[in-house]
Amino acid sequence: MEKAIKQNRGGELLLRLRKKFRRFMLYLLLCLFGITTAYPLLWMVYTSFKSNQDISMNTLALPTKLHFENYAEAWQTARIGEYFFNSIIVAVVSIIFTVLLGASAAFILSKFKFRLRRLIYTSFIIGMLIPLQSILVPLFIQMRSLKLLDSLWSLILSYTAFGLPIAIFILESFIRALPNEIMESAVIDGSSVPRSFFKLILPMSRPAIASVTILSFLNNWKEFSFALIFISDEAKKTLPLGLYNFLGAETNNYAGLTAALVISSIPVLIMYLFMQEQVINGMTAGAVKG
Amino acid sequence: MELIIRNRKYIFLGLFPAVSLYVVFVVYPIVRSFFYGFYEWNGLGEPVYIGLKNFQDILTDNIFWLSFKNNIFIVVASILGQIPIGLILAVILNSSLKGAGFFRSVFFVPMILSTVVVGLLWSTILNSQMGVLNHVLKSIGLESLALDWLGNPDIAMYTVCAVIVWQFVGLYMIIFLAAIQNIPPDIIEAASIDGANEIRKFFSITLPMLWPTVMTAVVLCISGSMRSFDLVFVMTQGGPANATELMATYMYNKTFSVYKYGYGSAVSLVIFVISFGFILISQSLMRRKNSDQ
Repeated sequence: MEKAIKQNRGGELLLRLRKKFRRFMLYLLLCLFGITTAYPLLWMVYTSFKSNQDISMNTLALPTKLHFENYAEAWQTARIGEYFFNSIIVAVVSIIFTVLLGASAAFILSKFKFRLRRLIYTSFIIGMLIPLQSILVPLFIQMRSLKLLDSLWSLILSYTAFGLPIAIFILESFIRALPNEIMESAVIDGSSVPRSFFKLILPMSRPAIASVTILSFLNNWKEFSFALIFISDEAKKTLPLGLYNFLGAETNNYAGLTAALVISSIPVLIMYLFMQEQVINGMTAGAVKG
Repeated sequence: MELIIRNRKYIFLGLFPAVSLYVVFVVYPIVRSFFYGFYEWNGLGEPVYIGLKNFQDILTDNIFWLSFKNNIFIVVASILGQIPIGLILAVILNSSLKGAGFFRSVFFVPMILSTVVVGLLWSTILNSQMGVLNHVLKSIGLESLALDWLGNPDIAMYTVCAVIVWQFVGLYMIIFLAAIQNIPPDIIEAASIDGANEIRKFFSITLPMLWPTVMTAVVLCISGSMRSFDLVFVMTQGGPANATELMATYMYNKTFSVYKYGYGSAVSLVIFVISFGFILISQSLMRRKNSDQ
């Protein structure tokens, strides 16, 4: 009897040990992947506070003294401040356009009846499948004939046009789900259709508008290929394009480069920090639908 | 009400801005590239009609086929890299470990960064002289492994693919995690009661139930990889010696470095057709798979 209990205890111990070991292996695996993901980013952040001399002497070491002047230099001398400002303008204006045009089109497509409805909706949705690169050349020619090259408008208009499919996809399904009675009673009360759109439909679609805004901001902030071919004027460059030039000019200025990389990542990282779930959901939905 | 929801004025007002922007900057350029694809044009003078010559030249250009092969290589590397790693991470994160949420947040960070930031960061890390990676390898005595990661034509493509996997694996992890959490827990419980161990449970329950999601991920890998341009353009510009040339970098170089707009338009069209072909094929394969079940 006693023996049996002892054996049983031994067995339990073994089971617990095995469980612990399994847990340990899983953590080990997670940490390995975690370090692979996080270390390059951490390296980028702490290197941005080191002097160039320090970087070449001790590539891996943490900074001994914080060189904030790297940031000042990147902002001023490397014109990151200017690029940053351009990126903000382009991102914000195209988001406003995408939301307004997308919502009004989505409103019509979801609540009105007309013959071309299906065709128009489908052609927007197909737009999600078009690879950007396949229209770079024709779009460049188009921008040139419209005299929009080297103007922020070329980026704003193309980001809006390419943001519309996913925006309409998200907004149309959301507005469709809003009860028809809302607009009906507003119209009966004497509110015009545009007025009920702005005063009722738009405010009620806030959750969908938030997803569209987050998604467009992330996409516009990152975008490189359009900027590369439309913009060659230094004063009009957005961050991704400006960063790219930075490397070509000063290959060994790692301090300045990492500072510039950190500056350009700060807005999206802040967004991620505060709205992590919306960012993850938005990007995943955008990828799976697109 | 019926009158209002058929009111042409409102329909026109609401749709016109979106539709016109979309037509001018998306639809019309595509149609126009059809047109220019059949012309020889340096971008300035009069375009000259040359029939199918551009397409003939593309299909007989070895560099184009090399770039096509490299695109396929990225597709395969993404499928073999992103899907298994994403799946492993999702399964681990789903097993109620402490700190799973933290790891989940970390793995997704590279996804939100600009591809240019990722490309520049890795270019500095992988730099053969000053980069961190070779520095570490040398300091732990693995001198022989300290390669010229982006400068050696034999390995540049592998390096680029590794960076692509690094950036996008978080997306696949999230997709699989969401799908795993949708598996009814009683099925797994029943299997535990029947005495199935974790590995057994994974292969006979989790994986089959995730199969549709795996297929979605494959389609995503294909369409994403056919689009890749930024990362390669930033890290290697298609070099060294065309070793990492992709269809998109090939098109860029032909159009904007040597000013062959007609030819570039034709390449755009070819990319368009190939990408759509791949997406359609993979989606119809998926549909057949789904209807089998």
